[in-house]
Amino acid sequence: MTPTALHGPFIDRLLSGRGIWPAVPAIIVLAIVAVIPFMVLLSLGFSDVVSSRGVIISQEFSLRHLKAALSDSLYWTTFRRSIGLAVTTTLLCMLLGFPVAYLYLIGGKWTRRIILVLTIAPILTSGIVRTYAWIVILGGRGVINTTLMQLGLIDQPVRIINTHWAVLIGMVQIHLPIMILPLIAVMTRHDTRLDEASANLGATRLGTLRHVILPLATPGLGTGAALVFTLSYTTFVVPQLLGGGNYLNAATMVFEQVVYALEWNKGAVTAVILMATCLIGLIGIAALTNLATRWTRAGRS
Amino acid sequence: MTTQWRYREFLDRLGIGVIIAIAVFSLALLVLPSVVVVMISFDTRAFISFPPQGFTLRWYQEVFNHPVLVGAMWTSFKVGVVVTLACIAFGVPTALACARGELRGRTALSIYVIAPHMVPGIVLGVAVLFTGALVGIGPSIWLQAVTLSVFVLAVMVRTVTSRLQRLDPALEQAAANLGATPFQAFRTITLPLLMPAILAGSVFTFVEGFDNLSVTIFTHGFRDRPLPIELLAIVQQTSSPMVAALSGVQILLAILAMITLSLSVGLDGVND
Repeated sequence: MTPTALHGPFIDRLLSGRGIWPAVPAIIVLAIVAVIPFMVLLSLGFSDVVSSRGVIISQEFSLRHLKAALSDSLYWTTFRRSIGLAVTTTLLCMLLGFPVAYLYLIGGKWTRRIILVLTIAPILTSGIVRTYAWIVILGGRGVINTTLMQLGLIDQPVRIINTHWAVLIGMVQIHLPIMILPLIAVMTRHDTRLDEASANLGATRLGTLRHVILPLATPGLGTGAALVFTLSYTTFVVPQLLGGGNYLNAATMVFEQVVYALEWNKGAVTAVILMATCLIGLIGIAALTNLATRWTRAGRS
Repeated sequence: MTTQWRYREFLDRLGIGVIIAIAVFSLALLVLPSVVVVMISFDTRAFISFPPQGFTLRWYQEVFNHPVLVGAMWTSFKVGVVVTLACIAFGVPTALACARGELRGRTALSIYVIAPHMVPGIVLGVAVLFTGALVGIGPSIWLQAVTLSVFVLAVMVRTVTSRLQRLDPALEQAAANLGATPFQAFRTITLPLLMPAILAGSVFTFVEGFDNLSVTIFTHGFRDRPLPIELLAIVQQTSSPMVAALSGVQILLAILAMITLSLSVGLDGVND
């Protein structure tokens, strides 16, 4: 180290160091606005608080709220519905997203450009706007109903919106770009000479897809699945707008408990359960990705 | 033998054809809903119906003459700017540490910074709301901006870190050899090279500050309600094409954001 760096102004010493010093401000802010709040959330969920005029008098560890939640059948149906919806959304996004990534791999410059635009634009568009588009399409006087009536296939509007199906359609379309982006990242790094070698060895294009491309793309599928699962499991907008007034998922449940009912302990417990189950889901996806990577690489038909 | 070969060839083409058909379907699914909304935003009738009739800019005028909506846009704009500035101020130094610190600290730091972004937005929102209440800080535009900054800091750090890791360290070394102090080397060599990444990161942090609902819904101020909150309410209340026009405005903003991205790091650089 040069003498100037050692004796220079403070900022020079910071910049020349190899330590984590430049990150200290961010570390402190994250501690105050993320770490401490999360601990408060846990403590609210797992304690009995006695307060008077907003001042906490006593706080004791208690599993009362968790027990109350676990014995409430509304919790079980809501969480089962949320998990089912998130898993279905993730699987459908994989099914619809992988072909797009394959098209990106084999496509020319313009195909690739179009795919990138169509994938990135929705990510930069408000989720509420994109969900509103489905109200316009699926609604009572929406695109589908008016078209079907004009064709004379139905006499009066069919109820599509405010059903489970409307929520599922919206979920898949809204989260599809999140699945495609990591897959494209994998495809960008993909060495196409491998595909040529595979073809030269007499493999069909499907064979190359199955034995060369799929094994290398599996980690991308895993990343995409983890992102889509987290977001679709905890989303608020789609079920609220397309599911109708009484369609509860875990996120809308937290909102109702905290904002409408002002039951903070209950809301805290629901949020903690939501996060814990989300984490379990992510661990499950990581394990499945590992298995699938090994299976696709070993498989030889 | 040839029949078998032909059958194999046929199956192969069929399979690839089906895959490409699904790809085209998916791409259409991504773009068509927005196209429908934009078409309807020019409809002359006062209710939503398809196909649209006529052409009018009336609904766009109504959006910009709607004091509540304009106020909400302004609020969200301010939040987006504050979030972006905060993410640059805290994120760029953090990225330096993430890219150049000692290996052990680096990994721990990356996990620590990215964790708040991995936590579901509503969980972070609820946690901050509760904590603020305990210390007497109610929901406000500031609580919203601070929480959103913490939520999206990871995006800026990740974008800048990956750019830093691909920079040639010899460049800064050369500057040092020529007598530049570390600060001079950073300002004249590294920072200009980082600008595209900072710009790309800013696009994402601004959009999140402007559009985010999951964190916002628990932390926003009740006097200055941001756009996503107003939008959520208005979508549930009315079926006027004005909502379509408001969506059209937001879609236009997204297109502008995308053009900025493609001019800064290029669209294929978004993934790095």
